[in-house]
Amino acid sequence: MKKKILSALLCTSMVAAALTGCGGSGGSGDSAPAAETPAASTEETPAAEEPAAATEEAPAAEASGESLVYWSMWDAAEPQAQAISQSIEKFTAETGIAVDVQFKGRTGIREGLQPALDAGTNIDLFDEDIDRVNTTWGSYLLDLEELAKANDYESTANAGLMAACREVAGGTLKSIPYQPNVFAYFYNADIFEEAGVTAVPTTWTEFLDTCQKIKDAGYTPITNDNAYISSLFGYHMSRLIGESATEEVVKNGDWDNPAVLKTAQAYEELASKGYFSETIESNQWPAGQNTELAMGTAAMYLNGSWLPNEVKDIAGEDFNWGCFSYPAVEGGVDGTEASNYGAQVFAINAKSTKAEQAFELITYLTKGEADALLSEMSVGIPADSNNAEWPALLSNVKPVMDSLTTRYPWGAGAEANADMTPIIIENFTKLCGGSLDAQGFVDALKTAGN
Amino acid sequence: MFDGAALLHLIGIGKGVTRLKKNKTMIVVFVTPAVVMFSIIFLYPIIRTVLMSFFKIEGVTDAMSKWEFSGLANYIKLFSTELFRISMWNIFRIWFFGGIIVMGLALLFAAILTSGIRFKNAFRAIIYMPNVVSAVALATMWLQYVFSPKFGLFKSIGKALHWEWLEKFQWLDPSHLFIALLVAYCFGMVGYHMLIFASGIERIGTEYYEAATLDGANRIQQFRYITLPLLKGVTKTNITMWSISSAGFFLWSQLFSMVVSNTQTITPVVYMYQNIFGAGNSMTERNAGIGAAVGVLLSICVVLIFIVCDKIFKDNDIEF
Repeated sequence: MKKKILSALLCTSMVAAALTGCGGSGGSGDSAPAAETPAASTEETPAAEEPAAATEEAPAAEASGESLVYWSMWDAAEPQAQAISQSIEKFTAETGIAVDVQFKGRTGIREGLQPALDAGTNIDLFDEDIDRVNTTWGSYLLDLEELAKANDYESTANAGLMAACREVAGGTLKSIPYQPNVFAYFYNADIFEEAGVTAVPTTWTEFLDTCQKIKDAGYTPITNDNAYISSLFGYHMSRLIGESATEEVVKNGDWDNPAVLKTAQAYEELASKGYFSETIESNQWPAGQNTELAMGTAAMYLNGSWLPNEVKDIAGEDFNWGCFSYPAVEGGVDGTEASNYGAQVFAINAKSTKAEQAFELITYLTKGEADALLSEMSVGIPADSNNAEWPALLSNVKPVMDSLTTRYPWGAGAEANADMTPIIIENFTKLCGGSLDAQGFVDALKTAGN
Repeated sequence: MFDGAALLHLIGIGKGVTRLKKNKTMIVVFVTPAVVMFSIIFLYPIIRTVLMSFFKIEGVTDAMSKWEFSGLANYIKLFSTELFRISMWNIFRIWFFGGIIVMGLALLFAAILTSGIRFKNAFRAIIYMPNVVSAVALATMWLQYVFSPKFGLFKSIGKALHWEWLEKFQWLDPSHLFIALLVAYCFGMVGYHMLIFASGIERIGTEYYEAATLDGANRIQQFRYITLPLLKGVTKTNITMWSISSAGFFLWSQLFSMVVSNTQTITPVVYMYQNIFGAGNSMTERNAGIGAAVGVLLSICVVLIFIVCDKIFKDNDIEF
């Protein structure tokens, strides 16, 4: 009998333990999503490698039904997250609106947001890249046209970026841009000066001339890393035939298109003249940007305007940054007015019951002091047109940003076909390293496409 | 095969088991939670995944009403896609060549550590240490330091020894990145499998070795004719564990090709991830159905490996 009682007790405790293990944390609604975030600590940015970053939340976050719930793409350790946390504290103090901000990181958002929205998780607003928010998660977004009008939001917003937001959302406003960025050649202006380069190259001929001068001065003209090297291919192709045509070539495997060979020949020439880093084939991100560009041995790197921030601890505050748009090529359809530019964007969940409060927070974060603080702490471009002062490290980016009229998507079409991206990267890297010639590059892509 | 009743009988509670069998209610009460949990956590996802593999599904959590039936199209696409074939080849290389390296070194270290050497615990801790260090930190160390073509450890060693081939070896270029990945991964895995082998060796009674010594067998002969045959079961466990971790090879692949994947490091699980959540920074087509098909194919591979292992390592013919 005693054994039966003991068995029953054990059984009860086992079931109770199982149920407790499966249970939630009692209404906070954020324990499950938090568990999805460890993957965030595995990739993309050094900051994402901080173990604490994956799960840490802002001190202001109080999970209650009354709080605005904001899922952030930043990791808590990143300067962007720290600036946003500080501004949210002020926002709450000024408006009395509590905000439950959850720093999920890029991977956390990418993996967890859509399942959470599908499961009806209470999320009022979130942020990510302009293209991903508007295309991948477009059906979950609240139309913001009315709110923007009612709050006169656009009077001090970047018109080009607002237009880009409408364009990617199919003609209506579903997201608000912040942390604008531009993809262009970033260079060490001191090396340019030492090499006698007085003006940034705008044509391919001038670019070749610039490379030669830099090489003659004893520096490596161009470096890059595996993470971004496909953009070299994409930008050159897009200069020749336009971005949409490049995308078609990549998606349909039209490697016989003369622009492919022409692009490859241009890079074969760069490689044969020794304009690339000797270790270009071995540069695993962030080796090229950290140990070559930031250390002052290489002069140019095609990358986003986040680069000066990423390498500022290595390059130092006195690093003299320059920026120019990818040069135009002879007979090409696009010039230096075309590039990838965009922003991170805020969006409001269409099911949110606090859309107005969420928009109030978005307005607060993307304008005035909060926008300036974010720009300063993250060495980023301000979103508010009244914040005319850009961080000193980015002062040379402004003319480039202002000159752009045509927007390319990420990689200028080079990464439009996920099944081909690694194959393009492998062979293009070999082309830049000189271990493959132009025809070999085209042949390799054709073989892989079969 | 594991025989629970025989084990219970051996440790003297055979009679208790017999009594328990009579109490069917108690069995049902104990078993039901496990069956329910198994059904929810394992059975349902398995069935759903297999089902998903025959549909085109944009978002992994899309309602079934949004699924578009595509028959075997996902499987056909997988087999006709070069990148997927590359990922399968990579995972085979990791499993096969990595398996030989890791199992070989683990067995060697286990044999040395259990042979009565001094500082056994210290050596064991050192060899096991990579397992307690974050994989992110380890991969960063390998990528940005050990393999660095500028100031890497191997480059320095090559220079010090005047081995020009080592000094100039480009570990991280597209032709050698797989070797670099394999070296780094195996370095981290040896300690784990070594511990399993060592525990298996320590289980073998000393009397067998004493008898063999009296019969004139040397250390190598003892290892060949006593240790190895009695380690069949442990070897099977190790290969099973290795196969499972190889099939799910993801983290190291991601760490060795940040942001975008690479032909040398991509594995089926990375390919699956790309199809479910998108690849790199660009907006690429998503199809969770293809991801599910990759999962089904991997499962079939793992089951096949288990069947082959079972045939090769029949450990129930030796009792000790």
